Amino acid sequence: MLPFPRFSFEAPDTVAEAVRLSALPRAMLLSGGTDLLPSVKHRLFQPDVLVSTRRLRELRGVREGADGGLTVGAGMRLSELSRDAQVRLRFPALAAATASVATPTIQRMGTLGGNLMLDTRCMYYNQPAGWRAALGGCLKCEGTVCHVAPKGAGCYAAHSADTVPVLHLLGAVACFATTSGDLRIPVAELYGDDGRTWLNSPPGALLVSVDIPDAKAPIAYRKLRQRGAIDYGLVLTAVTREAEGFRAVISAVGPRPIEVSGATAEALVDAALAVVQPLATHQQAVPWRRKMVKVELRRAIGELG
Amino acid sequence: MTTPTTTPMATTRVAQDLVLELLVNGEPTRRLVPGHRSLLEFLRDELRLTGTKHGCDVGDCGACTVLVDGEPRLSCITLAADCAGTAVETIEGVAVGGVLDPVQAAFDAHVAAQCGYCTPGFVMTLRHLFADNPDATESELRTALGSNICRCTGYVKILTAARDAQRRIQAAR
Ligand SMILES: Cc1cc2nc3c(=O)[nH]c(=O)nc-3n(C[C@H](O)[C@H](O)[C@H](O)COP(=O)(O)OP(=O)(O)OC[C@H]3O[C@@H](n4cnc5c(N)ncnc54)[C@H](O)[C@@H]3O)c2cc1C
Ligand code: SF4
Ligand code: FES
Ligand code: FES
Repeated sequence: MLPFPRFSFEAPDTVAEAVRLSALPRAMLLSGGTDLLPSVKHRLFQPDVLVSTRRLRELRGVREGADGGLTVGAGMRLSELSRDAQVRLRFPALAAATASVATPTIQRMGTLGGNLMLDTRCMYYNQPAGWRAALGGCLKCEGTVCHVAPKGAGCYAAHSADTVPVLHLLGAVACFATTSGDLRIPVAELYGDDGRTWLNSPPGALLVSVDIPDAKAPIAYRKLRQRGAIDYGLVLTAVTREAEGFRAVISAVGPRPIEVSGATAEALVDAALAVVQPLATHQQAVPWRRKMVKVELRRAIGELG
Repeated sequence: MTTPTTTPMATTRVAQDLVLELLVNGEPTRRLVPGHRSLLEFLRDELRLTGTKHGCDVGDCGACTVLVDGEPRLSCITLAADCAGTAVETIEGVAVGGVLDPVQAAFDAHVAAQCGYCTPGFVMTLRHLFADNPDATESELRTALGSNICRCTGYVKILTAARDAQRRIQAAR
């Protein structure tokens, strides 16, 4: 039994009211709940109030955006996107990424907004409170040391959101509502280098939609995972070939997805190995995950044809 | 659902109960629930609908799957309060007048359960799949079953039952 702590619940029907509520101390936004609610059960968060986005119409729908792209509501379920005709036609890699999240049931619950705002993950963090207490917690929660890099001062918990590497390559922009007005942050600039403070959006900001510009070139997306369902990725790889060469975003290897480029496939792999260093945030051996960065990149390049 | 008229309780830390109205297996249901009540606890502990099973409690296993407005939901990580105004279907609502539905009948025919703890969740997942995509391919069927974990059967009997259920549903069309 992992009971919830006590909290209250609000389900506002306007963005303005949702933003006002989410700006309250110890308030958190709730969409599909597939990331937040297990974490609340694990006492990683102790909110006083959860603010549901379920009734916000502005977060729904897929519309034609500016310059030939699409504007996707943050409240769209992952399964709605992987089945959406426009998304499949124009951004097949995004459809594939949404279809690779967790399980079909979780894809029907989880939203695009929740995926962009997904907490960073680590095997010392995503554990029940009693498990963590046995180790005295860690820097990201309750403790004073990082068990992954005990000499370091930072947290390396891994960014694990499947839609993000593709949205990053596409040049998508996250559109937020806040108590002090609207805010647009490119997905490529949304994440920072520490697993505790990985989000560059202000606290309480409500993600309303994601603007995706027209795709210039095909993207291949690969997810290395232990089982074919349920599991988070061990290495996430999105690659595209442009006039100047290859560009890739590699994730699940640190708090921020990492962009690399290279004129040739070999140059791209070399560039990736120079900067991507998986750490012991997952149970699987680090040297193997590092080798797999290279293997997954080559496979993804192969899929581009 | 009516929410409290006072400002939210962020400063007091005293959670107030909410009036929750919804349909459960077709029955209009009205109860006071605290905001932190999971749909699973609401169904099992308040409505005594214990057919929905309590497995991992954190979204991994699918034992607690129910349908909310026809969509599968893991009730352990769904708040009861967030289901206001919806129609919830649990395993208790599946058989009509004591007659098993095709998915249940196929699980029975192929003995696709050992301990049976995972079975209600599998039945709800498959009910949704066949309502949504009655002509699901073998690969779509296997993908859909990836939402649920069984620790006993090795899945072969569950797959056999699922294929048989699909044939029964297609034959009845
Ligand atoms: C067993 C299991 C396996 C999983 N595997 C994967 C996986 O392989 N890949 C993957 O990417 N994810 C995975 N997930 C996580 C999750 O299902 C998805 O990331 C999903 O997209 C999260 O969306 P949500 O609506 O459920 O988010 P929620 O849980 O509702 O919210 C997540 C976070 O975002 C915030 N938030 C939610 N909506 C907004 C908004 N509109 N504006 C601002 N902040 C917001 C919340 O406050 C919270 O901090 C898994 C979850 C489970 C339970
Ligand atoms: S990387 Fe270190 S600080 Fe961060 S969650 Fe893991 S153990 Fe904790
Ligand atoms: S009990 Fe809900 S998914 Fe396991
Ligand atoms: S029959 Fe025992 S868990 Fe499936």
